[in-house]
Amino acid sequence: MSVHNQVVFITDADCASGKAIIRRFVSEGSHFILNSESGGLALWEERRLIENSGKLAIIVNIDLCSFDEVWDMLQSTEQQIGTVSVLVHNNNVVYPSTIESCDEAIFAKSIAINAKSAFICTQAAGKHMMKSQHGSIIYVSSIHAEKPTGSAFTYSIAKGAVSMLAKEAALVLGRSSIRVNSIERGPLEGDDVLFESTLTPLYDHYNYKVPNAELGTYEDLAELVLFLASDSSKYINGADIRFDGGFLLHYMNFRMKQP
Amino acid sequence: MSIAGKVAIITGAGTGIGKGVAIELANRGVHVAVHYNQSDAGALHTKEQIDELGGSSFLVQADVSKKTDIERMVNSVAEKYGGIDILVNNAALQLNFDFFDYDETAFDRMFNINLKGYWQCIQAVVPYMKAKQSGRIINMSSVHSKRPTDFDAVYAMTKGGIRMLGRESAIELAHYGITVNTIEPGEIQVGKQSSRESKPILTEEEIQKYKRFSRTEREKFPVGRVGRPLDVAQLVCFLASDESEFMTGSAIRLDGGSMLI
Repeated sequence: MSVHNQVVFITDADCASGKAIIRRFVSEGSHFILNSESGGLALWEERRLIENSGKLAIIVNIDLCSFDEVWDMLQSTEQQIGTVSVLVHNNNVVYPSTIESCDEAIFAKSIAINAKSAFICTQAAGKHMMKSQHGSIIYVSSIHAEKPTGSAFTYSIAKGAVSMLAKEAALVLGRSSIRVNSIERGPLEGDDVLFESTLTPLYDHYNYKVPNAELGTYEDLAELVLFLASDSSKYINGADIRFDGGFLLHYMNFRMKQP
Repeated sequence: MSIAGKVAIITGAGTGIGKGVAIELANRGVHVAVHYNQSDAGALHTKEQIDELGGSSFLVQADVSKKTDIERMVNSVAEKYGGIDILVNNAALQLNFDFFDYDETAFDRMFNINLKGYWQCIQAVVPYMKAKQSGRIINMSSVHSKRPTDFDAVYAMTKGGIRMLGRESAIELAHYGITVNTIEPGEIQVGKQSSRESKPILTEEEIQKYKRFSRTEREKFPVGRVGRPLDVAQLVCFLASDESEFMTGSAIRLDGGSMLI
């Protein structure tokens, strides 16, 4: 499956990774369903690019934790641009939270945005993809599905759950030739602030911890998403793919050799 | 091993693994709070077995999806025994729903008990453990924190979450002298659930039977037999003891080698 003329559903399209993914898929000639909290306002440039490519983009702003809303939206967009064949779950919202002081509302919000929405979107998009017996589902997750943050436990437990969702969904949907994979995204510019912690030095000198001392970019991430969406990755299913340039390879923080 | 005289809360101790853990801890001289929600008959049976061994225990009911219930439970245990040394997070739900049969309510129910409940029990015991600058937290997870189930996707998701809850708690609580470890059991043979007929630990006769290493058992478990609650309980005893103080943030698979084949 090439993604040309395929319908790609991207959640949290407004964020930096969402925009980079849109741009990469535009050049492959895809159609889009974009869940955008800004109602498309934050995507004016990407929308122009899509329009110029002669493809279609449907902007929605729905509750991704409501099966009915996601299902109905996919039913209605199916009439307009066809059945969804790629789902990119791209929700990554980090709430600073500690075991000791976190409250229930933050816990519930983090699980809903980061994990429950992935489950509900997979159910709804998966059912649609089953009709055409093909598809690819990609979760843009995090290295914190494995490595603790020391600053945002509600985020890491949600991503730990998504990692298992990828494996379960890969088994269930695999019989319908739908693949499900998860990307463990490592540090990109600014993540040292996002995951600032007094408990772990993980992000100290984070750019130098990548062995070639060069942080990845959202464009690099979009390349991986495209690869996983296409048939080039047809034997990759239920995998957690680490995307961190080797950031987590250091045996211990203090042993890192300064460049 | 030095655990006698310590105080432990075991959630979900009216059935299965929790029951076996409660009995074995009490057998080694730990004061045990036997938590249950609806398995009152099972919890009573756990207490009766502990009484028979001459151990110390009391029953405490709570819905672990509710913070107020958890706080009431933890405070009552601390008040009775003068503190809390050990928490065994074990109460969990498994609905075995098909992937597409899960609705939003069922999803929330699973996460509220299996994940939020674990976290809030930890949150509630931390002040008591901090006061002593010592504590042992043991989270019961499953081999399904890494391997999918193919029968309950949301159950596996909650176990994937527990894997990270263990690691996050371990680094956050280490400087209070609190360790947090996770046990990932494979198939464990338990008796009938939630009834007076619960058999938390296999009878001698059954143990002998498994020792014969039937072909079926050997096909499933390289060690030749299914797991039993006592296997889990023995590991809990080690993780709850002073001897395990350098061990934190670990997840130990306990499956008789079944995930290797």
